Amino acid sequence: MKITKQAKREAKQLYRLCLVNGLLDENRVRGVVQRVISAGERDCPSILAHFLRLVKLNYAEHTATIESTVPLPLDLRTTVQTELTQRYGPGLTTEFIERTELIGGMRIRVGCDVYDGSVRARLEALAKSF
Amino acid sequence: MNAFILLAVAESEGQVAQIARTFGVDWSHLIAQIISFAIVCAVLYKFAYRRILAMLELRREQIRQGIANAEKIKAELDKTESQRREVLAEAHAQGVKFIEEARAAAARVQREETQKAIATAEQIMAKAREAAAQDHDRMLAELKREVGNLVVQATTAVTGKILTAEDQRRLAEETSKQIMA
Repeated sequence: MKITKQAKREAKQLYRLCLVNGLLDENRVRGVVQRVISAGERDCPSILAHFLRLVKLNYAEHTATIESTVPLPLDLRTTVQTELTQRYGPGLTTEFIERTELIGGMRIRVGCDVYDGSVRARLEALAKSF
Repeated sequence: MNAFILLAVAESEGQVAQIARTFGVDWSHLIAQIISFAIVCAVLYKFAYRRILAMLELRREQIRQGIANAEKIKAELDKTESQRREVLAEAHAQGVKFIEEARAAAARVQREETQKAIATAEQIMAKAREAAAQDHDRMLAELKREVGNLVVQATTAVTGKILTAEDQRRLAEETSKQIMA
């Protein structure tokens, strides 16, 4: 699907309408989508496609995926969440996932930022250095 | 003429007549023979002797010309011989010069070819050394990579089992510190 500049511009305006204090409001998102669909304009699919992309980017930017080999203790989870909030601001959603293939340590991904302190990453870096 | 003869005869009749009588000389026959001999001499002189002399003179001239030609030929031959010797000497000198030049050229070519061969050999040796060094480095790198992979594999297989809960917490805390760094 080809998205025109006009559709991108309109999708971006709708996306800005959904932000409340810099955070995405789910209710506004749903409302915007329903209104666009009910309007039935010709550019509706392309506008919604670009709007969905912007929402996904926002979701990725405000979602922290924390992977570890073993379940993290509660105090450590709290510490990590606090530090992430200090670093990226409020409204950050955290997900804790167990991945045994990391061997040891923890891997945090927030949007495009990755903090990888796992043993697997260290071994891969060691293997690349040879 | 007869008068002179008669007068002479009369003057010397004494002894001459006596000698002539002793040897049996007949004056008339003698005179006739002298006259006939003179005629024969004149005829021979006119028709034979002068031609023979001319022929002899011609022969003498021919011989003289032959001798002169022979001398000229000899001189020419000597001149030709000297020229031949000069040509031979010049040819010999040129031959020697050519041989010397050919030797010098051959020596120069030999030197150049030797230098080229030495340079080529040095290039081959340098390339061989470079290739050997590259092979050595490559093999060393491959060995290092293989050993490293083996170490990583072994570490991967073992590390998960030997890490304690404290180790896991320490590693997680290290990652947590990276956030605020």
